[in-house]
Amino acid sequence: MLSMKNISKVFQTDLVETHALRDFNLEVQEGEFVAVTGPSGSGKTTFLNIAGLLEGFTHGDYFLDGVNISNLNDNKSATIRNEKIGFIFQGFNLIPDLNLAENVEVPLRYRGFNAAERKRRVQHALEQVGLAARMKHLPSQLSGGQQQRVAIARALAGEPRFLLADEPTGNLDSMMARQVMELLENINKAGTTIIMVTHDAELARRAQRNIQIVDGQVCDFTMYQGGARQQGMGTKADKPHLVTDADKPSDESEQAQTEQAAS
Amino acid sequence: MFFYYLDLAWRSIKKTPFLSLLMVLAISIGIGITITTLNVYQLMSENPAGDRSDNLIAVQLWSQDKDAWKEFNAQLTYQDAYNLRKSDVPTRQTAMFVTGLAVQTEDPDFVPLLESVRVTDSDFFNMFSVPFIYGKAWDKSVDTEAVYQVVINEALNQQLFAGEDSIGKTLYLDSKPYQIVGVTKTWSPSPLYYDITTGAFKDSAQIFVPFSLAPIEEFQSWGNNQSWKRQSINSYSERLSSEMHWIQYWVEVQDDTQRDEYAQWLKRYVEQQQLLGRFDSPEAAAKLSNVEQWLEINEVVPEDNKILVGLSGLFLLVCLVNMLGLLLAKFLKRAPEVGVRRAIGASRAQIFFQHMVEVGLIGFGGGLLGLLWAWGSLSMLSAHFDLEDALTQLDLTMWVLAPTIAIAAALIAGVYPAWRICSTNPSVHLKSQ
Repeated sequence: MLSMKNISKVFQTDLVETHALRDFNLEVQEGEFVAVTGPSGSGKTTFLNIAGLLEGFTHGDYFLDGVNISNLNDNKSATIRNEKIGFIFQGFNLIPDLNLAENVEVPLRYRGFNAAERKRRVQHALEQVGLAARMKHLPSQLSGGQQQRVAIARALAGEPRFLLADEPTGNLDSMMARQVMELLENINKAGTTIIMVTHDAELARRAQRNIQIVDGQVCDFTMYQGGARQQGMGTKADKPHLVTDADKPSDESEQAQTEQAAS
Repeated sequence: MFFYYLDLAWRSIKKTPFLSLLMVLAISIGIGITITTLNVYQLMSENPAGDRSDNLIAVQLWSQDKDAWKEFNAQLTYQDAYNLRKSDVPTRQTAMFVTGLAVQTEDPDFVPLLESVRVTDSDFFNMFSVPFIYGKAWDKSVDTEAVYQVVINEALNQQLFAGEDSIGKTLYLDSKPYQIVGVTKTWSPSPLYYDITTGAFKDSAQIFVPFSLAPIEEFQSWGNNQSWKRQSINSYSERLSSEMHWIQYWVEVQDDTQRDEYAQWLKRYVEQQQLLGRFDSPEAAAKLSNVEQWLEINEVVPEDNKILVGLSGLFLLVCLVNMLGLLLAKFLKRAPEVGVRRAIGASRAQIFFQHMVEVGLIGFGGGLLGLLWAWGSLSMLSAHFDLEDALTQLDLTMWVLAPTIAIAAALIAGVYPAWRICSTNPSVHLKSQ
C-alpha cells in the first residue's frame, strides 16, 4: 500500500542544513492502523506531509498503491490526494464560511462528481459521523469534537484508500478524543488504512502498529504492539533502536501476529 | 467548476466588503477615466462613411502661386468648383458651402428663425447616404437651371409643420419662397467629415438649397474664407471670380480605376489653368483623399487627444498596481484555507483559476462602476465645458468595452497574487491553522 525506501528530506537555508528525515524506511500494508509517535521536531509531520503528497522529498523512493510518487506533477499529485488519501488535522481545518455539507462536499467538487452524487456522498459521510441532521450548520456552531467528526466525514466522503491523521485528538478533551478514536477504529475496521501521528501514548497503543520517529528515522518498530505486549512479547519495544531488515517480520510471522492481535 | 468558483468569489467578496469595495473603486476610477478619454477619442476618430469611405473623395487643388501657402487648402475657389462640376468622370459630385438664412412659413404668426443652410448639389444626398422620410432631393437639372427648391430635416419639419408630410409646401428663406421637395430623417454624421472647416463635431444643417442659386441669391459664406492673394472684393461676382477658397468639393467614384481617371482629368485641368495664367507654382497639382485620409489630413483627432488616452492608460496602470497590492493582501490571508483545499485534492491550476474568477468578478464590478464614472464625467464635461453633444455621448461600444477592459486589466493584475497563493506550500498552513 505505502512503501518508503531511504527517504530523506533536507531543509536548506543559506546557513543551516536540516535533515528532517534521513534514510526513512516504512512499509504499510492495506488495512493497517499505524500510530506514529516521537518527540517534537523528530520529523513526524514531515513524514505525514510526504506521505500525503503535500511535500516532496530530497532522496529515496516512495510508492503509494503501486504508483511511484517521485516524479509526479502537481495535477497527478492532486488527483491522488483527492482520490486515495483523506486528511484529518489537529486543528480540524474546516472552511469557516462553508456549512458542514459544503465542507464535506469540497473534495467531491474537485473530483468532478455531479450534484446528485455529491449530495449522496455528503449525506452518507455525515451519517457515518452522526451529524447528518446538522449539515446546514456552520463549523463555528459546533463543538471541537463535532468539528473533528465533520473533518473525518470530509475525509471519508471521497472513499479514500487511506487516512492520514495528524494529532486528530490533540485539540479535544479526553471524552471527545475517545469518541473520535472509536470512530477512526470503526473506519479502519471497514477496511481503510490509517496512519495517525499522535503524542498520546494511550491512543497510540490502540493502533495495530506503532512507529516511533526519532531524529528523522524510524526508531522503534513494534508490530501489533497491543497484542504483543499483552503476551509479553514486546521486549525490543522497551529499548528503542534503528530498524534493520532483520527486525522486519516475515510475511508468515506478520500473519500469525495479525491473527493474535485479532484474537 | 466555473459556477462553483463564482459562488466562492461572491462569498469572498461578501466576507471582505470593505477591501473588495476598495478594489472595485480602484479599478472603476481607472476604467472611468480611460473610458471617458477613449470614448471621446473613438467618437473623434470614427469613420462615419463606413464602407463608402474609399468611394467618397475630397478634392483639393494647389491653385496658389509660388511663395504663397505651402500646403493644399481644404477648400476650393468658386471658379474651380464651377469648372470641376463640368467633369463627367465621377459618378457623383457636389460643391457646397454653408450659409445662413432667415426661415419663415406662410403662417403670419410664425417668428422667423435664423438657420444655417447648406448650399449644395443634388448629388449630395445620395453621395452621403442621407435618408429621407418624405420626398427626395431636387432634380439633377436644378443643379444647372436654378429652381427655388429646398430640403429640410425632420426636426425642422416637426417644428414648422408638426411632422406632417410637407412636400409641396412653401418655405420662405430670406423672404424668398422655396418649394419643399424632401424631408430628411435625423442625420448627422460625426465627425461631420464633408465639412470640417468650422469644426468637425457640429450638427448637420437643417436646410439644404441648390448650389445653382448661390450666384443668384448671393448667399454669404458662413464657413471659412481663406485667400492667398490680396484682392479687393466689392461685389458677389468679384467674390465668385476671386482666389478665395470657401467651397468644399467631393466626388464619388466606384473604384480605383475611376479615381485614377479622375486624377488624370484634374491633372489636365491644372495644366489648362496654368496656360490661363493661374496655378503659378511648380507644386500646382490636385489631391484626392478618401474619407479616412481626409480625417487624418485634417487632424480631426488632435495629437493631444492621443496623449490623453495614453495618460489615462497609465492612470489605469497605477490603479491596477494598487489593486494588485490589495489582492495580494486578500489572497495571502486566505492561505490556510487554500492549504486545506490543496490537501483535499485541489491542484495548483484549480486554485489559480478559482482566484482568477474572483479577480474577474471584481474587475466586472469595477467595469460597471467605471461606466457610471465615465457617464458622469461626460455629463460633467458636457455641462461645464460646452462641448459638442456628439463628443459627450457614451458610445454603445463602450458599454461592452468597459467591462471587457476592466476584466482583462483585473486579470492581469490578479495573475501574480493568484500565482502566489496557488504556489504556497500547503503543509505550512495546515499545521498552523
